[in-house]
Amino acid sequence: MATTTAAITLTSTDLLTDSLALSTTSTLYNGPDFTTGLQRLKVTATSTSSSTLLYTADDFAAIAYIYIKNTDTTSTDYVYVYDDTTSGDPVILKLAGGDWAFMPTIADKTLKAYATTNPTTIEFMVIGTDQ
Amino acid sequence: MATTTATLTLSSADLTGDSIAVSVTSPLHKAGVNVGLDQTSGLAKKVYAATQSNTTLISAADYDDNTANWVYIKNPMPPVTSAETDDYITLTLGASNITLGRLYGGQWCFLPYEGEQDIDITTSATNMEVEFMVVYQTA
Repeated sequence: MATTTAAITLTSTDLLTDSLALSTTSTLYNGPDFTTGLQRLKVTATSTSSSTLLYTADDFAAIAYIYIKNTDTTSTDYVYVYDDTTSGDPVILKLAGGDWAFMPTIADKTLKAYATTNPTTIEFMVIGTDQ
Repeated sequence: MATTTATLTLSSADLTGDSIAVSVTSPLHKAGVNVGLDQTSGLAKKVYAATQSNTTLISAADYDDNTANWVYIKNPMPPVTSAETDDYITLTLGASNITLGRLYGGQWCFLPYEGEQDIDITTSATNMEVEFMVVYQTA
């Protein structure tokens, strides 16, 4: 059982008339002790055909966490992360260039990615507990 | 135009043989332009006395489609150490309720939101709380 912490800080001095400073830190639930490592990949597919595999369903037990960043510097170069297990391949994340997300996943869905531009480089990491 | 910055730090001394520390900071911009988001829902908190099933937390109707918005959601309940029995909030997306994941006590997520589908929650117990904020733009 490992201890991994995730912290987020949201700040703004002019979004509201008073300064915004939201900060929270949490220890990932149940001490997940496996990770894919922080990977850097080129997403070459521009549709679900030949898309990039991010995570295979049930590689980890629930609950797992995913961090993903679209490293592209052009904001309109999007990366789409979709649920390849569910019918219709629903998109669950749309990341503009420079965007990132950190979220839990129940770990039983295969996640894949495609982009608007070939290639678009992403960085991602999944942290979870081995099955 | 406002400037709002989000910073994520992931760190662990024992997840791998060497310590890891991942940190990323980004400004929150409107879709396709280098202009900061300028509206927010504010940091909101809801208390659900009864268990909820796919209850709308963030309504797409409140946001324009194809916009660049950001969502922060936290389960503020105190973390409990007895794994597998802890209470949690399940996040789902859209009318078909695509499951995104579970937030156990103290856990949070931060993700971009295009404003096209509702984000719903299901609670695993009574008297649960959720905190959330949307930083958004109009079309």
